[in-house]
Parts: sequence; C-alpha cells; structure tokens
Amino acid sequence: MKFQKKRAAVKQQIPTASLPDIVFMLLLFFMVTTTLREVDVLVKFKLPEAKAIEKIENKRLISYIWVGNDGRIQLNDSITKLEEIQKIMYAKRVALPNVIVSLRIDKNSDMGIVTDIQQELRKASCLRINYSAMLKI
Amino acid sequence: MVKLRKRKLPEAEIPTSSMADISFLLLLFFLASTVIDVDTGIGLVLPEYIPPGQQELVPISKDRLAAVLINENGDVLLNNEVIAIPQISKILKPRIESKIDLPANKKLVVSIKTDRKTNYNLYIQALDQIKEAYFQVREEYARKRFGKRLIDIDERSEEMKEIKEKIPITISIAEPEIVKK
Repeated sequence: MKFQKKRAAVKQQIPTASLPDIVFMLLLFFMVTTTLREVDVLVKFKLPEAKAIEKIENKRLISYIWVGNDGRIQLNDSITKLEEIQKIMYAKRVALPNVIVSLRIDKNSDMGIVTDIQQELRKASCLRINYSAMLKI
Repeated sequence: MVKLRKRKLPEAEIPTSSMADISFLLLLFFLASTVIDVDTGIGLVLPEYIPPGQQELVPISKDRLAAVLINENGDVLLNNEVIAIPQISKILKPRIESKIDLPANKKLVVSIKTDRKTNYNLYIQALDQIKEAYFQVREEYARKRFGKRLIDIDERSEEMKEIKEKIPITISIAEPEIVKK
C-alpha cells in the first residue's frame, strides 16, 4: 500500500490581485496633494531660522524670489536683474491678484538687497510677502 | 452516433502580475518629481508705494511707538535703549498687553529699521521676536477670554475676529533712507 502524505487542498498563495489598485490609490493621493516641481533653483541659499512662523496654505498663490549667497536674484527660472523685478511682478499680479511673494533669501545677505527688492515689489504693488524661514527648534 | 462534445476553451487571462510593478514605478516618479514641503515663513504686508514727493508724515505719539533699530554691527536699539535681540519680546509684551482695551488708533506700532549693511538673519530674528510677542499676547488673551488655545480657534470665526481686532499686528517697516550713489 502506498502511503501518501496528506496535504491541504488550499492554495498557498497570497492574493496579489488588489496590489495594483492599492498602489494606484497611493499614486492618486500623491498626485492630488502635491504640486509638481516647477523650477530649478540656480542660486545657493540657506534660510534663516525663526520661531513665530506661519504656514502658507495655498501653494498656488505663491511666487518665489530667491536671493543667493552671492547676491544674485532669481525670479521664475532665470537670474534676474533688480530693475526687471517690477515689470515681471506686475504682470504676475495682474494674472493673480492676491499673489503672495515668498522671499527665499540667504541668511548672510545684507539688508540692502532686501530693501531694494521690497521697494520694487511695492512699486509693482505686490504687497503680500513672506520671509521664508525654517522652524527653529 | 458520434457524441458531439463542446470543446472546452482555455481560460483567457491577461497577465497582471507586472501591473503592480508598473504602478510602483509611476508612484516613484511622482514622489521624486513633486515637492511636499510646506512653505513656512514670516508673513508681512508691505505698505503701498507712494512716490517720495507725495508722502505725508503722520505724527505718532511716543507711547504708541516702539522703534527697533538695528545697525550694521548687530546692535539693537529699542526706544533709545541698547538691548539684545532675545529681549525684544519681553520688553514689547507688557506694552502690547497694556493696549488691548484701547481703541484701534491707540494700539502699539512697532517700527523696524535697519541699515543697508545689516545682516538679513538679524533682521529676521528681530522680526521673529516681535511676532512672538504678539502671538504670546494673543495666546493668553484667547485662553482668558475663550478658554481655548489659539490654534484651536477657527481662522474665520467670530472669536478670531475679536482677537484680531483687540490685538492687531502692526509692524511698520521704515522707509529706507535715500542713499547717495
């Protein structure tokens, strides 16, 4: 008589059919909650730290101005001269009336350049600004 | 008679085992190409630009004004007293508190002025201290008046309106001096 080992008749497999669905859900979640990286930052900067900082909820309102540690100003995706800021920012304000200008300025910059940019922004009537800063712990 | 038997068709299946891999790749692509970090910083509203000829000087009484001056060496002057930056919020707090119940045209105005050579970091530190003082006063007011923490109060509620009315944040950036070139 032949002996036969008894085996369970059930398949020993983890069902993976729903895996793509799960991953697609994750993917959709990420697509909805994030914004695409828009520009390459050409300047090097280190943000200052502060305690009393606020979050900007609406990312689509933000327009960035970078100032690097070498004093170069970047607007949109190219290095810009100080005199051109007014024209570009005015066009932006016309397109988006309540634009928030986020100033990402290197912490070792002088106030001179900051004041100059502020004056240009005032002339372009982009009055809502935000000094970008990291949270100090 | 020959028995006709329907031939059983093999089951048609699309191989889906690689679907998960493909979707993972897509997911990774999105993770790599998006920004998740929230933009944080100190918000401020600049005053409207008025050409130098049309500017009007509005006198502000001395007890309403807190003038913060930072020179290029990083020395801080608050109402003609030399102080250090971390002291700013301690000095401003009682002054803001004393003006909670006063009408809007008697609230404290903090004016901040720097040199062209002042370090930007110092300016942010000073601004941070001023904001900190206001936030602390608002927090205490919210606790006393409503028994709630400031972050638990909705931005659009009546309570927030009252806080903003009682303790408005008025920070003025002094008009830059015209530099001879």
